[in-house]
Amino acid sequence: MNQKRFLLALLIFLLWQTPGVAQQVKTDNKVFNAEHFTLDNGLEIIVIPNHRAPVVTHMVWYRVGAADEPSGKSGIAHFLEHLMFKGSAVIGGKDLAAGEFSKKIKSLGGQDNAFTSQDYTAYYQSVAAEHLETVMRMEAGRMRGLKMAREDVESERNVILEERRQRTENNPAARLDEEMSAALFVNHPYGTPVIGWYHEMEKLSWEDARNFYDKWYAPNNAILVVSGDVSGEQVWELAKKIYGKIKKHDVPKRSRTTIPPFEAPKTVTLTDPVVRQPVIQKLYRVPSYRQNSGESLFLETLVEIMSGGPTSRLYKALVVEQKIASSASMGYRSNVWDDAELVISATPNPGYTVEDVEKALMEQIDILLDEGVSDDETVSAISRMQSSAIYARDSLQGPAMTFGGALTTGSKISDIEYWPQIIAHISNFDVNAVAQKYLSTESKDAAPPVTGYLLPPAQEPQENSDQSTGETE
Amino acid sequence: MRIVLAFVFLLVLPLAAHADSSFLDIQEVTSPGGIKAWLVEDHSVPVVSMKFGFKGAGAKLDPADKQGLSRMLSNTMDEGAGDLDSQEFQRHLLELSISISFSSDRDNFTGSLYTLTRNSEVAYELLGDALSVPRFDAEPVERMKRANQSRIRSALSNPDWIAARLMNDMAYEGHVYAQNSGGTLSSLESITPDDLRRLHKSSLGKNNLVVAVSGDITKEDLGTALDQIFSRLPEASLPEEPARIDIQNQGQTALYKKDIPQTIIEMIQPGIGRDDPDYQTAQVMNFILGSSGFGSRLTNEIREKRGLTYGVYSYIMDYEYTNGIGVSTSTKNESVSEILGILKQEWETMKTKPVSQQELETAKSYLIGSLPISLSSTNSIAGLLLSLQLDEMPIDYLDDREKKIKAVTPEDVQSIAMRLLDMNKMTTILVGQPEGITADKTIETLPNVE
Repeated sequence: MNQKRFLLALLIFLLWQTPGVAQQVKTDNKVFNAEHFTLDNGLEIIVIPNHRAPVVTHMVWYRVGAADEPSGKSGIAHFLEHLMFKGSAVIGGKDLAAGEFSKKIKSLGGQDNAFTSQDYTAYYQSVAAEHLETVMRMEAGRMRGLKMAREDVESERNVILEERRQRTENNPAARLDEEMSAALFVNHPYGTPVIGWYHEMEKLSWEDARNFYDKWYAPNNAILVVSGDVSGEQVWELAKKIYGKIKKHDVPKRSRTTIPPFEAPKTVTLTDPVVRQPVIQKLYRVPSYRQNSGESLFLETLVEIMSGGPTSRLYKALVVEQKIASSASMGYRSNVWDDAELVISATPNPGYTVEDVEKALMEQIDILLDEGVSDDETVSAISRMQSSAIYARDSLQGPAMTFGGALTTGSKISDIEYWPQIIAHISNFDVNAVAQKYLSTESKDAAPPVTGYLLPPAQEPQENSDQSTGETE
Repeated sequence: MRIVLAFVFLLVLPLAAHADSSFLDIQEVTSPGGIKAWLVEDHSVPVVSMKFGFKGAGAKLDPADKQGLSRMLSNTMDEGAGDLDSQEFQRHLLELSISISFSSDRDNFTGSLYTLTRNSEVAYELLGDALSVPRFDAEPVERMKRANQSRIRSALSNPDWIAARLMNDMAYEGHVYAQNSGGTLSSLESITPDDLRRLHKSSLGKNNLVVAVSGDITKEDLGTALDQIFSRLPEASLPEEPARIDIQNQGQTALYKKDIPQTIIEMIQPGIGRDDPDYQTAQVMNFILGSSGFGSRLTNEIREKRGLTYGVYSYIMDYEYTNGIGVSTSTKNESVSEILGILKQEWETMKTKPVSQQELETAKSYLIGSLPISLSSTNSIAGLLLSLQLDEMPIDYLDDREKKIKAVTPEDVQSIAMRLLDMNKMTTILVGQPEGITADKTIETLPNVE
């Protein structure tokens, strides 16, 4: 499934970069007014009432993703996600054969899909509210009742290999991203792409998928999120009746290897004759929300100041004033279980090299570190972030995505509901401290960045051979 | 770009459609100054979404040596207006979290405004200025040129983009639709602020304006807002319309060789327009054949049974001066001829055998029932209202569409298939290194890019 898997995963962060901090704020002014329950079998339930249209989105999020794969089996989490549409039980109904899940949803006038990230795997259906019980019986049925046939595993393996060709092999920018992550996340599963390495994907078997499924898919390792024209009580009653039938089952604790304290900045250069527009990117390793909620919110504010729109620092300096780049931006995704990435990237205008642009980017980082961000910039950034919480309610799936993505990566419900109030307390001192800590080459806490160049063959930067660019000026 | 647009159309329109009128209550509003709009009031979230279009003011107006002019107009109209230069204008938007954007497709020029209700007064003022007194200062014009040229250079490493570009060139050969609506590297270079001023003045007027609004606003307040935003617009004077064009190079296969492991396949044949009485029947057929992804015949045969692709879709595209039925897919180089064989076979099956009752019922349920799902935000509602108006559909179109879809029989589907589907009329583009394929022509340089 999942034409839009990656897009959707990305959307979570675009719609609303993660929620916030651990401290409880006393106010009833919540963003979504979600309700929360837990079944006896450990299934957590979030309900986000929204009565604008007579429809619901029903999502099940498993707290398992590509980063939980056994070594040598890269891609199995995503492959399993595909195989979940290849036949399954239905609670209180007839089994669905391969392909029937989505057909059934369409025959109800609904839409369904699924997506996989490093830390979670999610399945969703959007249907008229009257069909909520039907889709619940179907999704609950495949929580422990997957019935994929061996021959379907064979043909579906070819599909994921085609998916990899389409997304990655045919696309030099995607191949560079893959190699940069591999360089940043040494001795950590985030260095392996979600889709998997081709040579390992080719060998993934029915048993591999089955083992992964048996090990991780269980009510006590899942979150049910329902948004739309339904009440908490209605969902609770239905879920008790349907999901309540599934037995709890021991799921291992997530065990992830950790990254050694490397010192040297690395450079990755990918040249390909099809490249006409060079790109420079820098990846910094920074805390995720789960690792350090406070710093994570400060980093989000920093990113809003550096890169929130055409008047932001990076765009204004490199694109509007210096005119050496056609784009310049900074991004950060805090909704991950382990270390997060902060990425800076830019595309040079004709007549300028990636080194020229890199130098200009690093000048902006130096100005940030020397002079800091102002109180005005911080107040304005926070106000924009708070407005985004109002816009976030103007959607059916968006809020469900926000809760699922945040809760599977260690956020709490109150972090989301009180996010606007929590970020109101951030000061420019907080933002400057976090910039110093993670972007300064002097900082003991900063991991060395990975610099990546996407280039046509003739345009390699001169210092490419010594593998040690990336220093600030 | 065409393919992208076709998919957007697919997602926004056919999926979108129906609603019993109690769910989507469309009001027609006329301002004191005579500006009309369609409105769906919804006070559940304090936001307002407004989408508007200038009919006939799209890329089809671009001169051949200034391809991308309309796109550039859309890029620069939010880059400074009245007393505010680009940075000041953008800062006003940003500080109040107001989004104003413009966009241009082959046929029409469109724009959108998305604001919190509490900032709507300022939002209307800024939008009114962007529409009536845009500055087109040299700095943003140059900057947008660079951004577009960079976009084109980036797209050159994307085989899907290359296939779409070649398809436009082949399928609409000799017509303005064959031009690159995003511009070429050199045509963009030649565009001046005066070109933009001329196009702005002549093509965006009250007489070709349509407006769609959804969200936290009353009929009365919208009336006032419409005058505030649009009353300063002149009357547009558009040049003579281009001629209609049928799909060109039918039956021809063109190959663009590229050293990649997977070949991109794009095909298009003549189609059907939205004004045709059998259009909804064709949508039902297209759903069963290939527009629906999972469950469609093409996905079943090509992806589910054989694992030959990650995605295969058919679509109906309907532009002002042409229409078509297309297929998009990709597969490893050695499987291209196998996929082409299956497509041919599915085209025949659709014509020779009636669809099953179950296929038909699923198609109907989905095409009717998925509309409310796709209309769960103010932006999606306003987007639907706009596209209906741009296509000159009546305000009760959604009700009529539902009736028509419900009435479709297996025989109707077969007869529209016999009328429309013809593999021999396919114009085919292949990008990659397909094995066992003899192309009618091999393309060495991409047209309308440099």
